[in-house]
Amino acid sequence: MSSATRLYLSNDTSARAAGAGLLADAWAERPEVQLIRLSSRGAFFLEPMVERDSPEGRVAWFNVQPDDLSSILAGVGGTPVRSIPFLANQTRFTFANFGETEPLALDEYQARGGLKGLEEAFRLTPDGIIEELRVSQLRGRGGAAFPVWNKWKVAQQTKASEKYVVANADEGDAGTYCDRMILEGDPFRLLEGMLICARAIGASRGYVYCRQEYPAAAAMLRAAIRKADEAELLDIDGEPFPIEVVEGAGSYVCGEETALLESLEGKRGVVRARPPYPAQAGLYGQPTIVSNVLTFATISQILSRGGTWHASLGTEQSRGTIALQLGGRVKHPGLVEVPFGLSLRQVLDQFGGGMAPGSRFKAVQVGGPLGSLFPSTGLDLPICYDAFAKAGAVLGHGGIVVYDHETDMVDLARHFMAFTADESCGKCTPCRIGSVRGREILERIQAGGGTVDDLALLGDLGETMKLASLCALGGRAPYPVLTAIEHFPAEFRSKLRA
Amino acid sequence: MSNHEQVEKILRQVRSEPPNMLKTLLALQEQIGYVPVDAIPDIAHSLRTTTTQIAGVLSYYPDLRVTAAGRHVIRVCMGESCYANGCGRLLRVLQDSLRTDVGETTSGGKFTLDTMSCAGNCAVSPTVLIDQDLYGRVLPSQVETMLERYR
Repeated sequence: MSSATRLYLSNDTSARAAGAGLLADAWAERPEVQLIRLSSRGAFFLEPMVERDSPEGRVAWFNVQPDDLSSILAGVGGTPVRSIPFLANQTRFTFANFGETEPLALDEYQARGGLKGLEEAFRLTPDGIIEELRVSQLRGRGGAAFPVWNKWKVAQQTKASEKYVVANADEGDAGTYCDRMILEGDPFRLLEGMLICARAIGASRGYVYCRQEYPAAAAMLRAAIRKADEAELLDIDGEPFPIEVVEGAGSYVCGEETALLESLEGKRGVVRARPPYPAQAGLYGQPTIVSNVLTFATISQILSRGGTWHASLGTEQSRGTIALQLGGRVKHPGLVEVPFGLSLRQVLDQFGGGMAPGSRFKAVQVGGPLGSLFPSTGLDLPICYDAFAKAGAVLGHGGIVVYDHETDMVDLARHFMAFTADESCGKCTPCRIGSVRGREILERIQAGGGTVDDLALLGDLGETMKLASLCALGGRAPYPVLTAIEHFPAEFRSKLRA
Repeated sequence: MSNHEQVEKILRQVRSEPPNMLKTLLALQEQIGYVPVDAIPDIAHSLRTTTTQIAGVLSYYPDLRVTAAGRHVIRVCMGESCYANGCGRLLRVLQDSLRTDVGETTSGGKFTLDTMSCAGNCAVSPTVLIDQDLYGRVLPSQVETMLERYR
């Protein structure tokens, strides 16, 4: 209907969980409303957010209730999107389309610069693509931060009858959701990155291993693959490049690349010993690039804007932008894309908006359930790989969870170790047995039966797990526990038996 | 149709090359609601592998079930953002309200209560998933109203 007002509402899972679905249901029969469902801008504290066009660009209404429709239609009380500080202060490249486009509108994706990276990839030789990535200094965004070009080079140079490209969409780190946003909100960006990779290494088939907890993401991606296929995009130099979405079954460790490959083959998601690395012998023993969704989503602009553009952003060892995902007791939880190099404090103040009402800061955890805890004195650390490595910490997949004054650090440490004990694949002894013993010790301390020797034992156990575990699950599991003890020793001591 | 025939039919539908144990078990669960343990020999035969391999995969993945779930499955997210925002309290309220424990089904088979490690809904936590419906920013005081829709 021509007289209807176009209103924009996110269809992202978290926007719906915050109430976007209720609005859509409530307004479905209103002839004066034409509702367009978009990706989310990632300012989740404002969701459900409703926008409409104005001569000065989009205007938004925040935390909307169904009854707010009349004021939205009357144009009363909206805020111009470009004057929302949380968004205006970001440097958005990978997430530039979010809140702007319909996820499955390939024409909109293309109109906003999509597929330019792929076109460039077809102009270049495979070596040329890899050289561009080398210049860009892109490091894998899933957590391991390995130079992407290096991995691609190995896969390219390994002779094999079949090669595979696998997108790791098993975003299991609690506190992270940027891959989910990409899968649901800008799926062609992932597919474009995978196609570029396939062209560079000579792969014939692609897989997206998507966690079972993301049903909307898997459905959106399948729809995007169908659209891409109809547009004859899933084709490299005249050869078909089919991409299949495969769903997991709730195992955290399947986000580790070799466990993921086992699971993709239909087996138990048990970690493989490396070497050989997947780039040499991965899926079904063939050269395979396994990269995180965010990594693939970053590739297209590196090709279209050039590797030097990417290398001009960020810090010396950490080029480009990082997608930080704020959660926990922060006032403004949401997605923040900024160049590497801001301090934790800057991110929490400028974007997080401080603490949620009634909360006082106690600790922040960076990098998921295996990430270190920082007290208020540790917030000046710049967010980049080298500074975190020097501090014995990891950026992981960019999750930042803030804990407030009510948090019981002993119980939190127990929670972490119990998580590892639940999720350990069982392949290596330090992780399989160590995590269970660690959980038992922490349960003992929490119940008031621990001694000072138990704290020493946790230290020893932690060092063993760090050094001797086969993958990052066991190797990183001690970090949140040991940093909790390091920064909040009084809390642990107060629970010990005399 | 007997259980055996139903299993055989599904096995024929999902046959793939190379055989894939996880996909097969997920397909069985999708159609039957769980993976019947007594079907393991048939599954192993169909996939040209051993019963031990099948049992191994079946026991490995948290989402594979060997018994039927309740009519509605409630999962409370235990991720760190949800932890910071009080998922522990939320879980206790649900346990009290349903008079059931984590991993168990209420008498009468209406609700199964479970946890999950992260729903990726961290920015609007704490999170409760009921069947396919995801609820964010859930307060303990809202639990009863939320459950009412499924009772």
